[in-house]
Parts: sequence; C-alpha cells; structure tokens
Amino acid sequence: MKESSAKARYNSVPDKVFDITNIVFMLCIVIVTLYPFINMFALSFNDANDSIRGGLYFWPRVWTWDNYNYIFNEASIYHATFISALRTILGTVVSVFCTAMLAYTVSRQEYVLRKFVTIVAIFTMYFSGGLIPGYLLIKELHMINSFWVYIIPGIISVFNLIVIRSFIEGLPDGIMESAKIDGAGDFITFMRIVLPLTVPALATVSLFVAVSQWNSWFDVFLYNSSHINLSTLQYELMKILQTSNTAASSTNVGDQFAAGQSGVTAVTPTSIRATMTIIASLPIIMVYPFLQKYFVKGMTVGGVKG
Amino acid sequence: MVNKKLLTVSLAAAMLAVTASACGGNNNNDEPKSSNTGNSGNAANASTSPEAEDKTPVTFSYYSFTSQKDTMASDTVIGKELQNQTGVDWKMEFLVGDPQTKSGVMIASGDYPDVIVPEGEIDKLLDAGAFIPLDDLIEKYGPNIKRVYGQYFDKFRQADGKMYFLPFGANQGYVGDPGISQGAFWIQRSVLKEAGYPKIKTLDQYFDLIKQYQEKHPTVDGKGTIGFASLAGPADSFFSITNPAMHLAGYPNDGSVIVDMTTHEAKTYAATDNEKKWLQKLNQVNSEGLFDPETFTANKDQFLAKLTSGRVLGYFNYAWQVGDATNNLMKAGIDEKRYAPLPIVFDENTKDQYLDPPSFVNNRGIGISVNAKDPERIIKYWDNLLKEENQVLVQWGVKDQNYSVDANGRFIMNAQQISDRSDPEKKRSIGWQYFEYSWPRYGNNSVLADGNSYAVSNQPEVAYAGYTDGDKALLDAYGAKTFSEYFSKPDERAWYPAWSINKGQGTPEQIFEQKASDLQKKYIPKLVLAKTSDFDSVWNDYVGQMNKLDVKGYETFITKVVQDRINGKW
Amino acid sequence: MEKLQDVMPVVKSPAASSSRLQLFFKKLMQQKVLLLMSIPFVLWLFLFKYVPLWGWTISFQKFRPAKDLFDQEWVGWKNFHFLFSDDSFYRVLRNTIVMSSINLVLGFVTAIVLAIMLNELRNIMFKRVVQTISYLPHFISWVVAANIISSALAPEGVINILMTKLHLIDQPILWLGKGNYFWGILGASEVWKNVGWNTIIYLAAITTIDPSQYEAAEIDGANRFQRILHITLPGMKSVIVILLIMNLGNILESGFEPQYLLGNGMTVDYSENLDIFVLKYGMNMGNYSLATAAGMFKTVVSFIFLLSANSIAKRLGQSRLF
Repeated sequence: MKESSAKARYNSVPDKVFDITNIVFMLCIVIVTLYPFINMFALSFNDANDSIRGGLYFWPRVWTWDNYNYIFNEASIYHATFISALRTILGTVVSVFCTAMLAYTVSRQEYVLRKFVTIVAIFTMYFSGGLIPGYLLIKELHMINSFWVYIIPGIISVFNLIVIRSFIEGLPDGIMESAKIDGAGDFITFMRIVLPLTVPALATVSLFVAVSQWNSWFDVFLYNSSHINLSTLQYELMKILQTSNTAASSTNVGDQFAAGQSGVTAVTPTSIRATMTIIASLPIIMVYPFLQKYFVKGMTVGGVKG
Repeated sequence: MVNKKLLTVSLAAAMLAVTASACGGNNNNDEPKSSNTGNSGNAANASTSPEAEDKTPVTFSYYSFTSQKDTMASDTVIGKELQNQTGVDWKMEFLVGDPQTKSGVMIASGDYPDVIVPEGEIDKLLDAGAFIPLDDLIEKYGPNIKRVYGQYFDKFRQADGKMYFLPFGANQGYVGDPGISQGAFWIQRSVLKEAGYPKIKTLDQYFDLIKQYQEKHPTVDGKGTIGFASLAGPADSFFSITNPAMHLAGYPNDGSVIVDMTTHEAKTYAATDNEKKWLQKLNQVNSEGLFDPETFTANKDQFLAKLTSGRVLGYFNYAWQVGDATNNLMKAGIDEKRYAPLPIVFDENTKDQYLDPPSFVNNRGIGISVNAKDPERIIKYWDNLLKEENQVLVQWGVKDQNYSVDANGRFIMNAQQISDRSDPEKKRSIGWQYFEYSWPRYGNNSVLADGNSYAVSNQPEVAYAGYTDGDKALLDAYGAKTFSEYFSKPDERAWYPAWSINKGQGTPEQIFEQKASDLQKKYIPKLVLAKTSDFDSVWNDYVGQMNKLDVKGYETFITKVVQDRINGKW
Repeated sequence: MEKLQDVMPVVKSPAASSSRLQLFFKKLMQQKVLLLMSIPFVLWLFLFKYVPLWGWTISFQKFRPAKDLFDQEWVGWKNFHFLFSDDSFYRVLRNTIVMSSINLVLGFVTAIVLAIMLNELRNIMFKRVVQTISYLPHFISWVVAANIISSALAPEGVINILMTKLHLIDQPILWLGKGNYFWGILGASEVWKNVGWNTIIYLAAITTIDPSQYEAAEIDGANRFQRILHITLPGMKSVIVILLIMNLGNILESGFEPQYLLGNGMTVDYSENLDIFVLKYGMNMGNYSLATAAGMFKTVVSFIFLLSANSIAKRLGQSRLF
C-alpha cells in the first residue's frame, strides 16, 4: 500500500476542515471525560477535613498523603491485590478460551446442535433464579470459601459468546473450508485458525472479562467474606469505605463532642472514595494500552489479511 | 439507618442535678429500683461464686450487621483483658455490603456464627429461629445479667414469652447528655451576637432574626447569604424536613406520629395543621428569598460544603447528620461561623421537647445463634462483661492511662485522653470501637455506683473540658452551663420511642409508611416552592392524596402498641 | 456452506420422524469434536443458570427464607397482583421503558459516531490517547459520578454559570428539581459515563474491515463521508444489529443507581423505575417474593422483545441472534 498517495488524497480542503472539526470534537470529549479523574485525583490528595468545604476541582488545596496512607496501612490490602490479580488473569484466560470455543461451535453452520445450544445460551441472559437459589447451589457444590467460586461460575459469558460468534462469522468464507480440506479437525481449526484471526474480538472480550473480574466484590461478599485469604482488593476497599462511613456518622457518644478539637484528621467517606477510585482503577487502566493495540489501529493498517 | 442513629439516646438534665443525684428529675416508674442498684455500691456486682471457672482458651465467632474493621478481640486492650478473665476470645466480623442480602443468605444457608448483632435485620432472624432462648441460661449463669436487665425483661420478651437477645439500652439510673446531639433549629452565632443574644422561642422570631441579619449582610465572601437550608436531598435524610412539624408542636422524635399526652392516642402529623403551619412558614420565607431550594436536591457533600462556607444562617438537622461540617467549623476556630442549637416551637405557650425522654430500645440487641458451640460459656462471658468494673473498662478504658480519678472520686480526662477517645486508630487498638456498644451493656444514660457517668460524653467534667471559649461565652450570655440546659427537660413518655414499634415485614402499616413518605417527598417541595397564592390548592391536593391511604388503620395500630407499652406490655 | 439448521430433532410427521432422527444421530456422530467442544458448557449453563430457576417458585409464596420449599405458604398470583394493581406501577413501568429506550438509542448512536470519528483520526498516538481517556468515566462508581453531576447542575454549578454567561438563561435553574429535565439529564449522564466504553466493541468491528476496500473506494474517488457510509458502517453492521437485538431484550433494565442517586421527591414522577419500586416494596420489606415476581415479569417482557426483534431481523435479511 502506498502511504504517500493516500496522504495526498487526504489533503483536500473539505478533508482539512473535517480533520480540524474532528480534532476539536475529540478535545471536547477529552476534557469532559478526563475531568472526573482529575477531580478524584485532587480529592484524594487533599486533606479530608478541608475537602468538606467543597470547591475542589482540578488541584488539591491542602496536599496530603493521609488518604493513601490510610488505605495502604491496611495490611490486608496487599494479599487482596494479589488475589484480585490472580482471579483477573486466570478468570480472563479461562473464560475467554471457553467462551471462544463454544462460540466456534455455534458458528459452524453444519453443527446439528447449533441452534439448540445458541438458544439455551441466549435465554440465560434474560433470567435469573435469584440470589438465594444461586447461593444454595454454590453451597451444594462446596465452592463456598474457595478460590474457584471466582472462576467457575463465570466460565461462559453469553454476551461475549455472541460477540465472538459474530466475529467468527465475519471471517472471510473459505478460510475454514481450506483448513478442512487440509485435513484439520474442528479443534485444530479452532486453535490454529480461528483464535489467531479473531484477536480483535478476543482482546475486546478479554477487556470486558478482566474489568468485571477486577471490579467484582459481590461474590467475595456472598461466598468468601469470612475467609480473609481469599479477599480481593475491591472488597477490602469496600470495607475501608464502609468503616469510614461509620466513623463519620458515629452513633457513639464519645465522638460527638471530642472529634472537633482532637486534632485528628479523620478520613471522610468522600476522600476515601476518591482515593479508592484512583487505587482500584489505575492498574486496570495501565493494562489497557496492551489490549488496545489489537482493536485501535491505524485507519489503513490492520484488518484480516487472509 | 435512621433508627440506628437515633439509638444514641441523649437525655438532658442539669449538670449539677446529675452530680447530686442520679435519679433526680426522673420519674419513670421503672427507674428508682435501678437507680438504687446502680448507686448503692455494695450491690454493684452480683457475686459470681469464685468456684473454679472454666478458663480453657476458646474462640467464638461474633458477627455484627454494622460496619467495622474485622478483628480478633484479643488484639485489643479491652478484649485481651476480658480474655485474661475468661479464656474466651472472639473472631469479630462485620458487614460489608447490603444487610438484607447478608441476612437472607445467612438464613437460607443456616450458616450462623455463634453470636449475632442483627441491627435492622433482627425481625428476619427472629422469625427464622436463628436465636436460642436465653431464659434458662440467664437463670443459671447470669446474676449480673439479671441485675442489669432484670427490670427490663418484660420489655423485650417475644410473643412466646421468651428472651432471645439482650438489648443495648438498659439504663442504670439516669444522667442526661450535656450537649445537643439530636435535632434542633440551629442558628449562626454571628446572628445571635449581632442581635445581642435575644431569647428566641417561636418560629416567627427565629425567621425574623434571620431576615434582619440577611438584610444587613446580603453577601458573605462575595456569595449570597442563605437564610435557611436543611439536608433533605438524599431520600434517607428527608425526615429532616418533615420532623420539624412534630418538634415545633412541642413533641420529641416519635417518628411519624405525635402521641397525645393525656389520651395517649397516636396521630400522624403528615398533612395535618401542624405540618401546614410549618410548610406555610417555609413557603413564606421562600417567597422572601430566605429559603434555599437546594435543600431538596443537594447531596450530603454539597450541603456540608455550604454549612462550612459560613453562608447559611439557620438550618434544621440532627447533630449527627452534619457532624463533619460542625467539627470542621470548630477546627477552623472562627467562633462566629459556628452554630448554636435553639429549642424553637410554634408559639409562646408550647413547651419544647427536643430532648429525648428516657427510653428503652427493644428492637436492637445481641443474641446467641442456634449454631453456637457453647452457649453457657458465652452467657458467662456476657455476665462477666456486665460486672461494673468491666463496664467501666469498655467505656473509659484503663485507669490512669485512658482516664484519671480526681480527689473526689470523679473520672476526668485531659486533652490528650479526650483526643485519644475519639481517634479512630486508638479506638480500635484499645478496643472501644469493638466493645463500647454492641454487647450486653448498661444504657448510655447510666450512672455508675460511685456516681460517675457511665458514658464518657455524659460526664459533665469531660464535656466542659471540651468547650471552647466561644462556647463558654455563648452559654454565659444565656445563663446556662451546658447547651442542653436551656432546652426543656423531657417529660416522661412510657412508650418512647414510638419509632421503634415493630410493624412487621410487608404489613399494611409498613406499606402505609412507605406510601405516606412517598407522598411527603413529592408534595412538600411543591408546597414550599409554590407561589404563595397557589399554596392552598397544592395543600388540598396533598391532603386528598394522603386521605386515600388508610391513615385511621395506621393510627389505630400505633395507638394500640403505645397503650400496651404504657401498660407494661412491650 | 451447508445449511442444516433445520436438522433439529423436531417431529414434523410420523412417517418422516424415524428417518429424520436417524439422520440427526448420524450427523451428530460425525460431529463428535464439535459435540465435545460444546456439551460441557451446555451442562454448565444448565447447572449454573437453569437449575437455580426453581427459585421462581418463591414468587408464588409468602416466602420466608428459614423454611423449606415445601413448608412455604403458597399464595398463588397474589404477588403479581400486588405488583400490577399498585397505582404507581404503570407510571413506574412507563419511566422504565422511556429511560431504557433513551439509553438504548443515545448509547448506540453516540458510541457508533464516536467509533467512526476515532477511526477517522489520522494521528495514531492521538487516537489512542483520546480513546483511552474517553473510557475513563466507566471506572468511577455511580456514587462518585452522581456527585460530580449534581454539583455541575447545582444553581451555582458550572452548567448554570456557562448558560448564564452565554445568555441562554436569565437566572440559574434548579436542574435536578424539575421532573421534565430528568430523563435528559439521565441520558446525558449515561452517555458521558459509558460512551467510551461502548465504543470499544465497534472499534474492534472496524478492524476487521478489509483495508483494500478503502483503497478501492479512494481510487473510485469516494470522499470521507462516502467511505464512512459505504464501507465503515456496513462493516460494523452485523455487530450493530446483534447488539441491538440483545439490548432490546433488556428493555426493562433501565439501571438503578443513577435514578436512585439523582432522583428526589420533585422528580419522582419521572425518575422512579421498576428496580426502585421493587427495592422499596420488595427488598426493603423483606419481601423476596415480590422481587422474584418482578424478575419473572421482566423475563417475560424480555423474551417478547427478544423474539420479536430477532424475527424482524430475520425478515429484513439481517444477521440475527439465533
């Protein structure tokens, strides 16, 4: 492909206008979507007691590390971060692989159970037996207080299944046929041809799974709350937040008169929430560029090269 | 949420009266016996025979539906001391997330810890049979439990006549809170100062004063002065705008009803004349530009920011709702920007009743679950905890470290000790955070055998040590020693608090409360912000909607429970 | 490619049935590998998704969690009756449908437009940076987001200041106090929070477009808009259609937190949706049965929308869900 000739064509006047408008439009989006993080940043580095006064937007008024110290002093945070990372990596790999495999089978037009499997899967997106039956099932399966409760109930994501299926179906005809002719079985075709060719889709659903694994705390709350070794970062942060909530609106008689002159800089739920937003989202945001390269490409590069 | 917070039973009594006699000013029929028990030092601890107690180390599980950092009891000073006495340690776990989900899952799976503090989920757990009856255990192993709770037993027996949990509010004698930790009409001190500390009693006087001040000072630091606001935006704070109707009419916080002092009939006050008077006044001050319409939309952070800005001249809220802001103002050290509580009523002839009467909250407590490994050891531990010296330990801490005793035998604290008592880290490491409340205990208003206050903050010496010069100057101007002193003393209300009446899950009463409060949420902002000429038509619409609900049925139900309570049936 | 969808074990006529069945099993045996690759997951779906459906019985009971299934008090359709006969139910249902439709339409349009515009950016670094930043709000909780939104919309907030400066309004508006603004505010908030995140899947779809198509179009002299219209959009079409069908099934899921956090008494006629209603009369009153009944109602509506959308797509000859 000839980059230079392509460039020349882009330089017409309407194209210039379009580009400039587009850049301005993007800058507006950047301002609006970056603001909450800047605001969280300012709040998290600002003295909690001072933050109550409000009016913090872009920059801390009274700098402090106290909010971060408060969270990082919590010894349980470190192991919980490890568990979070482990469940994110393992959960993503397992779920994406299994979902892709199932997606491959339901993309095979000749598969006799294709429609049956598809419908069985799709329907599950729109109902739920409810919290308590779900809990009792996990209990019957002896998955309470185990790490596997983070992985096994999430093996298949039906939404992702459909996404991957539609990408597989979009692959150029004939690729799989030629594999068949070469004598490759379905499993080989899936591993050698389908997986490599659907990388943008896999990167996308990996991101979906990874983010939801990283952010989830409800399963920890339900199944593993009394097992500190299986606690996750988000759950520990929730704990800290709720504890700071109690401290802020304490019912205890000792607090109401003394808190004011005590000189203790208490954390507030607002400052803790800002700090935990930063702490919890930074790792997953840093992972992002590595996945991003698979689905954000140059306009004329990429795509399927059969 | 609300109920939990209201648990802070705060009663007022003059400081001197308190030191003189613990039962002075208190005429609750049930009380004298307890006061005697509490004050006659000899009976302070029922003797547990010193026969060889089982002290083999054991760890039980404790689960509370409040939020706190999980811990082992023995990691705290207090928990360690109690372990030394009994050999018992506790794995203490606390709720993270949603209580309804947690209780549902706990019940469905039957996975109960040894001891549970269910807070608002208590009805569900009782209904599910999660707790064992305590009567026989108390009879056999609980002399101190009997001493502390004996007179209250009938107030928390369940329908089958058995006791399944121990509540937290068994007052032994009575001492009031010197501060105002509950509701009041607050006013900026600069307003009082400029007007020469006038005596303010009625709602009209209150708003006149604010109006005069605002006319003179239309802006503060370049931004408009706000006459009156309230934190009523979040759904769970809306009571801040409805409850004043009850307080202004001269009643304490009974929730959604006013109970007549002579007939003991409970009446809702939503869509009645009392509420109309209050809202009409707000409507009027709104038309005068004194009312902040953001009252109905601002969230807590926004409201607190406003209060700390010094622009708000008056507000109605419960002290614990806005503690972050008032503490912030106190720290800032500008006394004029701080607020003073006022017991405002509708007219000169009404006696204010902002201070909570002596009460016994019977729908919160701690129980032993059916899964408990050794209920006897647990009951013995509780009984030991209720010994007076251990009750001092859980509130005051270790003598000469966390508090001192002066020549007169009074407990005192220096500035450092006061600060430690409220420092979250210290509260955890010493163990106050874990032991001062959700266990079998004396009520907050209790008096110890030696005349000291059970709760630290109710000890006048401690409270006074915490006052700033500004506080003292203001109190001097009103000729009072404490803030609660210029509020009227609470009348006796044997049923108090009516808000703790159990309506059951999904009953018509519970549904009525939800619908009535939905109507209030919808109509009150309309009424306050309406053009004055439209007020009546909106009001009629509101009353019409409210009357579609079964108000009568609800009132009959509450009245019946109130009268049962008066007759000793709780 | 063979089209064998019809080879399902569906009995159409007695005569044909035995031979059809034989054919089916014969095919199945030939597809052992596909079978092995899918059946474990089908079993998984049955175990984790279908087995807990016994919980739906709760909606016909006055459920008390401590009791066994057979000791429960059965109340027939009473919980459904409570749901459908409440005065506010139809208002709540209307709000739910309106808000989720707004979210659906706005969500789709904005994400697709943003994906295309991003794709048209020439500087790859700039493109990646913009894309990364645009999805950041997805990572803040609704509590935090609601805080930011309500301070922006406060009488002294940035929106009112801007609009006053631009002479669009004379005096500040109490945005969150007016019911008729609520849906708009909610829709805009959802877009702000999720547009970047929703874009990702469309960007992935764009990468699969064969670049030679763009080259060919250029040689034909197509301009930017023509290329977007005739290459980029058609390239995304199947993903768009599939997502649209799936989301139509979620027509009664309009979210819970933003309405709960941004709504108040003044806007309740517009902000209260099914989830909030169920929270108030179900969960908050320990009434799991009502919550379950509402869940079943949602499922029924979902299926109606899902099946209709799917068959419309089929009739229009578009890619479809099943």
